[in-house]
Amino acid sequence: MPDDKIDLPQGTLDLLILKTLALGSQHGWAISERIQQVSGEALRIQQGSLYPALHRLQRRGWIKAHWGASENNRRAKYYDLTAAGRRQLETEKDSWQKLTTAVAQVLETA
Amino acid sequence: MFDDLVFRLRSLFRRNVVEAELEEELRTHFDREVEKYLRAGLSPAESKRRARLAIGGLEQVKEDCRDARGVSFFETLLQDVRFALRMLRKNPGFTAVAVLTLALGIGANTAIFSVVDTVLLRPLPFRDPDRLVKVIFSYPGLGLRNISFSIPELEDLRSRAKVFDEVSVVWAASVNLTGSRVPQRLELLAVSPNYFTMLGATPQLGRLFDSQDFALGFAPAAVISDGLWRRAFGTDPNVLGRSLQLDNDPYIIVGVLPPGFRHPGKTIAADVEIWATAGFSADPFAKPARNARQMPGAIGRLKAGLGQGEAQARLTSLSEALRNEFPNDYPPVGKWSIEIQSLQESLVGGVRSTLLVLLGAVILIILVASVNIANLLLARASTRYREMAVRSALGASRMRLVRQTLTESVILALIAGLAGVLTARAVLRIILQFVPSNIPRLHEVSVNWSVLGFALLISVLTGLLFGLAPAIQSAKADLVAAFREGTCRAGHSVKVSRLRGVLIVSELALAMVLMVGAGLLLRTFWGLLQQNPGFNPSGVVAASLWLPAPNDPKADTYAKSEQLTPFFREVLRRLRAIPGVELAAFTTSLPATGDLTFNVALNIEDRAVDSSQDLKADLISVTPDYFRVIQSSLVRGRFFAENDEKGQQDVAIIDESTARRYWPGRDPIGRRLKTGRAAAAPWLTVVGVVGDIKHDGLDKDGVPHLYVAAYQRASKILNVVTRTSLPAASLESQIRSAIQSVDPGLPVFNVRSMPEIIGDSLATRRFSAELVAAFAVLALALTSVGIYGLLAYLCGQRSREIGIRMALGAQPGDILRMILKQGAQLAGGGILAGLLFAAVTAPLISALLYGVRPLDPIVFLAVPLVLLAVSLLASYIPARRAMRVDPMIALRHE
Repeated sequence: MPDDKIDLPQGTLDLLILKTLALGSQHGWAISERIQQVSGEALRIQQGSLYPALHRLQRRGWIKAHWGASENNRRAKYYDLTAAGRRQLETEKDSWQKLTTAVAQVLETA
Repeated sequence: MFDDLVFRLRSLFRRNVVEAELEEELRTHFDREVEKYLRAGLSPAESKRRARLAIGGLEQVKEDCRDARGVSFFETLLQDVRFALRMLRKNPGFTAVAVLTLALGIGANTAIFSVVDTVLLRPLPFRDPDRLVKVIFSYPGLGLRNISFSIPELEDLRSRAKVFDEVSVVWAASVNLTGSRVPQRLELLAVSPNYFTMLGATPQLGRLFDSQDFALGFAPAAVISDGLWRRAFGTDPNVLGRSLQLDNDPYIIVGVLPPGFRHPGKTIAADVEIWATAGFSADPFAKPARNARQMPGAIGRLKAGLGQGEAQARLTSLSEALRNEFPNDYPPVGKWSIEIQSLQESLVGGVRSTLLVLLGAVILIILVASVNIANLLLARASTRYREMAVRSALGASRMRLVRQTLTESVILALIAGLAGVLTARAVLRIILQFVPSNIPRLHEVSVNWSVLGFALLISVLTGLLFGLAPAIQSAKADLVAAFREGTCRAGHSVKVSRLRGVLIVSELALAMVLMVGAGLLLRTFWGLLQQNPGFNPSGVVAASLWLPAPNDPKADTYAKSEQLTPFFREVLRRLRAIPGVELAAFTTSLPATGDLTFNVALNIEDRAVDSSQDLKADLISVTPDYFRVIQSSLVRGRFFAENDEKGQQDVAIIDESTARRYWPGRDPIGRRLKTGRAAAAPWLTVVGVVGDIKHDGLDKDGVPHLYVAAYQRASKILNVVTRTSLPAASLESQIRSAIQSVDPGLPVFNVRSMPEIIGDSLATRRFSAELVAAFAVLALALTSVGIYGLLAYLCGQRSREIGIRMALGAQPGDILRMILKQGAQLAGGGILAGLLFAAVTAPLISALLYGVRPLDPIVFLAVPLVLLAVSLLASYIPARRAMRVDPMIALRHE
């Protein structure tokens, strides 16, 4: 397995999780798989950071959890975005874009 | 915000559910990961290995999740508390000693604090207590303070001062309850009709005084205390309307006060039992005149919103205006003044320093106890050193270790605090038994919420205090050294013993402060007992009586000298007839009590009035044998004689300091003086000079005394003194029957021996000295245990070294000296620190010292010597054990 994973900058994981959940309810494993797929295998989310992040987001009231049956009829914990989480996603997306634009500008001109 | 709280609380209280959910979630995740690899075509074993690798440490993830949930603070706390309780259970001996020491300390602190809280801090139990003041009239120019005042002056306070809502006269007196089978002396307070409304008191039965009770003399209504109601009437609800014979006058009971009500001021000998109300301007009182100053005290309620400073300014200008208006009634030299003092201050000001010193002493003792327990904990910490190192190796942070150790200490202190609070009631009851009853407001003392809050505060603070040193020590665990074999603990133990040394030194210093305080207080107390009071208290028995003063002067059978002198002579004749009584005399004031003296202005014949800045004296009226009964010395002239009676030359006896002050270098015998400035007052001729007698109390220097002959100038407030070989108890009934055989209506009370009276007068001093001394002894004991513990520990650590030294030829004596030297070094450090500390703190108690300076050289020499001796004794036991170390065993041990 290629070991070319990218270190996520602080706070980025929260943004990715919120974005992933914006598409609909997901359980933990699916969240990490989806991020991995969409990023073209470049981003691999470790379980050790995923679950603490989910707990942290719950505590802030941005996501909430409920138990439901998964596609193969197994019990799984699903996470949903709350209204507050949706707002948070917009702000974070916004500031992320500002940041990347700014960094890109510096890299191009310098 | 709210979500956050709910989430945290659910995480905290449904911890098991949350944990199980996490467990399940993580397992599902793992299973899916495995399935993913299986689908990719890997073998089951390889799939599981990959999944495990991808996931990382399961426990670590769980811990991180807990952190993310934000409950770890509480969870850690619960964990630490559980662990701490387990550790305490595992060391029952240590726990018991620590809890017991601390519980005693906290209990004593709580008890003393509840006394301080009640007496000094809590407002008086009356309506708007901060507006209640005592009114004090003075002649500062004559050095006379708290003098009596007249009806016109009272009217000025009420109508001209614009300061008070209410002012009431308070006049404490004795009264004889007559008409009952056995005559009794009762404590009476004569007040203005507005007294109870001013204080906001309500009756438990009947009514209190109001404007309908206004009378020029005494009104017929009387209000009684709950105590008298219980004692004399058995809580009879029909007591209202009952009649009482007081000094032969009839009174009608109109009300009963509730149990908690106490008069907030000076009384004669006990709590007030009967309140009477009067206008103080007709019989038995003098006709109102500005200079007919009869009334001894007043209390008032300030107008709402008027500050004490503003009130005082108005009173000062009032007194100036009155002095100008009535120059004949206020001699300019006197500078007559009106002052106010908060009622609470007037009541408790006198005991403030005593109580604060006691509070300081108990705080010191709990500090000593804390340091001692810190020492025990440190000793234990070194046995738990490896445990801490293992925890540290497994990833516990320093903060985490400090927190755990501190939690243990605070838990220990809280358990002790709980025990302390539970015992506080008992400790308080014990302390209250020894607290002298002249400390005001003691009946109000109880363990209440503020006291419990204080106990909690003390517990947590001491826990943190004694936990700090071991906690810091535990955080310094050095992994490498701890796991290395052989000499692993050398470095650590040097550090620990240095820290323990510092603790011992501070313990010694604290103990020394207590010992110096105790030494100074005890020296004051013993000094007072040993000084020459100017009389010989042993073999003197005294009793008090009070001659009735009925409201109609014509009904007074003891109004004139012609009636009094035969009474005195007859009573004295019968007293002398009692077998075992050698001599007997009357006096208005007993020595060493300071009670009931009349402070009078003196007028000396051959001195100009205007230069007489300090011409005043306490007037004491005595019968001829008085000085022989108390065995005071005659310096010049003669004592009073039987024929110093009405119709003869009026005579006086003065004491040496009076003679020295007013007739320096001249013979006072034959000179004349009078009391007051009235032209009609008779001149008194000085016939004798006696040695100074400590009349106002052994610890008071007192003003000069002027003795007059009772057969010429008598008073109704009387004491008999007898010189006898019999104890007071066996004389009591004989003295009573001797007096009552002359007048069966006279109650006789307070029959006591003179040493007893002196003991009572010094009770507060004795109490504070003995309590502080007890604390000092306790501190000394704790400290010596500390020294013993440290040296025993050090000897254990050094047993190999000692073994080598002995193998190389050191004698047991050398070893003994070596250990003793170590003990002496500790003691020396502690004594040095203690000397500095004590020198700073000793002046704080100077208000309680008499005849001893705060830096008394004897105390400051003796205390270090005692401390050194005790320290060496405490070092001697481990030193002897070290001396007996067998070199072979010590060396083989490693």
